[in-house]
Amino acid sequence: MKPHRVDLRDVAGLHEVVERVVKTRLREVRALAAGLERRDRQGLHDFRIASKRLRYALERFEALEPSLQAAAERLASLQDALGEAHDRDVLLAILPPAMGATQRRLQREREESVDQAVGLWNALSSYLNDSLIG
Amino acid sequence: MKWLAKTIREERRALERARRRFIRKPSEKRLHDVRTTGRRFRSLLEDVADLAPAKRLLSRIKRAAAATDAARDATIILRLLERSVDAIEVEAAQPLLDELRKQEALATRLARTHLQRARF
Repeated sequence: MKPHRVDLRDVAGLHEVVERVVKTRLREVRALAAGLERRDRQGLHDFRIASKRLRYALERFEALEPSLQAAAERLASLQDALGEAHDRDVLLAILPPAMGATQRRLQREREESVDQAVGLWNALSSYLNDSLIG
Repeated sequence: MKWLAKTIREERRALERARRRFIRKPSEKRLHDVRTTGRRFRSLLEDVADLAPAKRLLSRIKRAAAATDAARDATIILRLLERSVDAIEVEAAQPLLDELRKQEALATRLARTHLQRARF
């Protein structure tokens, strides 16, 4: 999924660059949050990539805008949970049919990771709504 | 926008350093570093493309990332399978474990070959 272009024409200064980049990347994540609710492999993957872009932007700019640090840390936890789910999706796709017990375990772990990601995203989403960058 | 120029320079150097370290002595950790620094740099260039267009550099970074995908996938999946396989299914898992180990070794060699030619 290609990232949206950040419109930086006529920006007045660095703080405006930060604001436009963060808002654009946040809009992308919100637009793809339905994928997290659907819990399907592709939806989770797209949401994970978009949230990674947002996290990188927040981490890069937190030296200029320290208020971004808390959101970046929460996104890192969200990334971990989504990464765990993704790794299990990849392995489940190639697991031989004779490995039913392992498959059930991986499936259970996958659902636990998605549950965790949903909880983290709900908390983060509210946090972002209340913050300057929301 | 001195800050932006400096950040681009630093992230470029970080990727180039990670690339050279991986080529000198390939390892799981060093491959991870190449991929992470590459993703961060790519994300920066995409974010500020209006101010600092770098299409050719972006293409090189994307190609390098693609060249390392298979090695990273094989490593991650192999480690996960090694720690997840149910005790009663160890035998059934063996062919897949063997295949993933082969894939990991081959894909790491191919990633190294590609990164030897790449420059950031």
